[in-house]
Amino acid sequence: MRAVFTSRLFWIGIATLVAGALLPLFASGYVLGLLTVACYTAVFAMSWDLLFGFAGEVNFGPTFLIGLGAYTAGILDARLSPQVSMWLCVAAGAAAAVIGGVLLALPALRLRGPYFGLTTLVAVLMLQNFVVVFAGLTGGEIGLSVPDVMSVDAHANYWIAFGFMALSGAILFGLSRSAVGLILQASGQDTVQAGALGFNVVKHKLAAFIVSAFFSGLAGALMVFYMGTASVGTFVDISVGVQVIIAAVLGGRRTVIGAALGAIFLIGMGELLRPLGEMATLIVSVIALLVILFFPDGFLGILRGRARS
Amino acid sequence: MLFWQILIDGFAISALYALGATGFTLIFGVSGVLNLSHGAIMVGAAVAAWAAAGLLHVDAYVAALIGIAVGIGLAFATYFIAVRPIQQSRRIAESEREIFILTATLLWGIIIQELVAYLYTNNAKTVLPIVEGVVTVLGVRTPTNEFFTAVVCWVVIGLLWLLVNRTRRGKAVLAASMNPRGVTLLGIELSGIYLTVWAVYGLLAGIAGILLGMFLGVSSYSVGPLTASAFSIVVLGGLGSVSGSLIAAYVVGYLETMTAYMLSPAYRTIPALLLLIVVMYVRPQGLFGRR
Amino acid sequence: MLEVSGLTKRFGGLVAVKGLSFALRGGEILGLIGPNGSGKSTAMKSILGVELPSEGSVKLDGIELAGLPAYRIARHGVGLVFQHSRPLNRQSVLENIKIALLPDRLTQLVAGKHADAQARSIAERVGLGAVLDRKPPTLPFADLRRLELAKAIARHPKLVMIDEPFAGLTMSEVAVFSDLIREFRNEGRAVLLVDHNVKGVAALVDRVLAMYLGEKIAEGSADEVMRDETVRRVYLGGALGTAARPETAFHDAVPLLEVEGAGVVYGKALALQDVSLHVHEGEFVSVVGLNGAGKTTLFNAISGLVPYTGSIRWAGDALRARSAAAIACGGIVQCAETRELFGDMSVRENLDLGGNALADEERRQRLDWLFELFPILRSRQAQMARTLSGGEQQMLAIARALMMKPRLLILDEPTLGLAPVILETLSQALEKLRATTTISVLLGEQNVTFALPHADRVYVLDHARIVWEGSPDRFEEEAAATYL
Repeated sequence: MRAVFTSRLFWIGIATLVAGALLPLFASGYVLGLLTVACYTAVFAMSWDLLFGFAGEVNFGPTFLIGLGAYTAGILDARLSPQVSMWLCVAAGAAAAVIGGVLLALPALRLRGPYFGLTTLVAVLMLQNFVVVFAGLTGGEIGLSVPDVMSVDAHANYWIAFGFMALSGAILFGLSRSAVGLILQASGQDTVQAGALGFNVVKHKLAAFIVSAFFSGLAGALMVFYMGTASVGTFVDISVGVQVIIAAVLGGRRTVIGAALGAIFLIGMGELLRPLGEMATLIVSVIALLVILFFPDGFLGILRGRARS
Repeated sequence: MLFWQILIDGFAISALYALGATGFTLIFGVSGVLNLSHGAIMVGAAVAAWAAAGLLHVDAYVAALIGIAVGIGLAFATYFIAVRPIQQSRRIAESEREIFILTATLLWGIIIQELVAYLYTNNAKTVLPIVEGVVTVLGVRTPTNEFFTAVVCWVVIGLLWLLVNRTRRGKAVLAASMNPRGVTLLGIELSGIYLTVWAVYGLLAGIAGILLGMFLGVSSYSVGPLTASAFSIVVLGGLGSVSGSLIAAYVVGYLETMTAYMLSPAYRTIPALLLLIVVMYVRPQGLFGRR
Repeated sequence: MLEVSGLTKRFGGLVAVKGLSFALRGGEILGLIGPNGSGKSTAMKSILGVELPSEGSVKLDGIELAGLPAYRIARHGVGLVFQHSRPLNRQSVLENIKIALLPDRLTQLVAGKHADAQARSIAERVGLGAVLDRKPPTLPFADLRRLELAKAIARHPKLVMIDEPFAGLTMSEVAVFSDLIREFRNEGRAVLLVDHNVKGVAALVDRVLAMYLGEKIAEGSADEVMRDETVRRVYLGGALGTAARPETAFHDAVPLLEVEGAGVVYGKALALQDVSLHVHEGEFVSVVGLNGAGKTTLFNAISGLVPYTGSIRWAGDALRARSAAAIACGGIVQCAETRELFGDMSVRENLDLGGNALADEERRQRLDWLFELFPILRSRQAQMARTLSGGEQQMLAIARALMMKPRLLILDEPTLGLAPVILETLSQALEKLRATTTISVLLGEQNVTFALPHADRVYVLDHARIVWEGSPDRFEEEAAATYL
């Protein structure tokens, strides 16, 4: 365990947390709102990194899990509030995401090569279509409003999001550095070798899937109650999924902390470019493409690369 | 009466799907790439044709040709920008290449989509139809364009079949889809094969896009759903199997048309998706997939 | 301790292992020997459960293992050292070994107090004590192999299986590893070594079991097996007739193909080391060597499929700058060991593709000539290549290569996995080729009976180096002993 505390990543993580904790002292409500979204996105990205970076599984549709969590929580609240508390809905959302994750993982883990990634992509499509078609239940393309919100105060929302991100980050990072994380890495890198060393690879990958689903769904559900609405464009759309993946790649795969940094960077960039109007998405996509082509190791990857050599 | 309407409409839509899916499968079979900018290339070609007709005041045929040329250009751009650099990059591990290429093509598709929206707004555009008018067949009033679409699609598919099965170059492409190393050992440069394949793909996607533009119209919003449907069809039929894609295209096309007419247009996409779920669970390599 | 009986493994129609039975006691080293395709690696993998046995029983101390998944078998006390090192590149050596010590639990957050000390002691034992904190990419090849050994013995398995224990190691490293393996044996473990030739492990093993085409053909001490009739036939073949022409019979000013000091490195492993050979125009040269010796690597270097150091010249010009396809067009055509046929295309279509650079008329003529050389292909013209038998596929591969009008035909292990009666047909075809054409041939084979009769000159390739060169008639007395 000592290794966790002495690693460079750990200190970068601590630095980020300190900066984040001090922020509300000088930032405006608007910026705080942005960072709140960034915190939730950071959890999406960190969950994805655990699955891809460690278990080696290409989840090309993280928004399937996020969307399940968000919509389950949202629909339950819209229908059952005020009898059912908001937090119960959040829990239900997380549970739905986990169930969905298991249903997805079981067939998908038996597949090899591009088929696994495809299955995850298909799952997103299905959720998207389902939401649009059953608009009566889900609000369709317009979106669903929920009667409850966590808070109307920008500071309070920020602290909730920040705290959640810090806690999730700590758990996910800790997992990645633990013995179990080591087994996951072995399973992801070389399934046969891991089996020969005595590890039930399927069991471990399924567990990784469940953890990833849990945090993604939970973050999605919480974000619904921050924004007050749920829509396809914020939770399910493939482009949101791409953002999550880019955030993790930008920050550096297999670092968990990097995914959080990447998410903050992306949201920040999106904001900076907002005055450009429609060009904003275009420019972010171009930058993302350049990162994939020329800096596949991401920020932290580059830092670690230099440290190693 | 309804029966004939479904039969005809379904046939035309399915033919269009078939053309798009064939291109998608071709690229996967030979280049190993699942091109997620597929919809963007189709829409790009259609919008180019529309813009050419509108801005340059050329007639429908010339506009269509310009659109096709743009389609081929976009396909090449996809290859040289989003695919080849990653295939040849030494910084990306073998096992991760797939997802990087998937993400890169998706991003490239988004870039094209946003460019179209920026230059020409999000509004739906209809490409100038080459064939106009309405015709009554089997008691159903159908736009002639619909028949034109179906005929062109099948002619192109037929030509493609001829190309692949009867010409030397085509056979080399087919061989490359089975065994790239085998092709190299026979003195055929793979780089040339890839260029041929992407060019053909651009042609197919361009024609499909333009026909769609004439038939139903396109907008930058169509990009996602177009890629999604091509992708679902190809997965259903089996990755790498052209005949599988053709059959799946018709299955999906007819399922959609029947649902639209008999239940409601809003539920159009559901049966096909349900079928896809079942197939993914029971036979993930698709109906005819072999890889 | 280990009792294998009737072990059979089928892959579709191919039977890789047929009714293999043997027993291994603790404190014994058994060598499982056989050429490529003999089924030895499959047998080993079936014991560990990496491959599921189709039939038969594998008992460890009376417990039935056959049918269990690999991770369960491993936990019963079986360790396997794979042929290719597979470390976790982002973890240190110490962490790599620690993983092997972890239990298969989801809730294992911390490795446990003893794990660290245990891992260190294992590392010391295999000789990795000095590099515990380094990461695998920075380690030399031998240390990576030590790491594999460490991982396999970490949990004190009763049975240790090692695939190709000495591949890629220098002589001194081989000695060190042999000592380590002897130590395992002395601790009472059962050790199973899988290798290509008896000589390599003769000094180490207590017993040898020789396999061919999935079956056991001999068992006994190393000497007994080396003297066994069947084994000798399989490796060396029967009477070795030759029809060699002296080098002076060839009139090219510079040899058509000249390889000088070629070296190939795969990752860390030395696949080819300072190899020099040459082929004259019209000459038939055989490169004899067991699997893993480097034949395929050599041919791939010549064909431009792998990067290499050193020089390879074709008719005086360096080949280095040319692409693989250009080299093939230029006259060097390889018929690869894996044949690389287009399975879903017909025989005729495969051949036509071979003639892709020819005009229609010429292609037809060449096709006719090849159908005379290999009559069976004419009758199977329309058949899908995938459905042909092994021998027919090999003939198709050779015929397709000949469609390219090669000046130099490279044949990589054409007899691999083929029944003796097919070898006869192939042999005759090669004889005809030699007699009626001026095509130069570079043949890589482990089957000496097949390789020698047509050859003008022979090279012996062993562990990435050329160890002998000469005429076929001198082979038996000078080189055969080292070869077995």
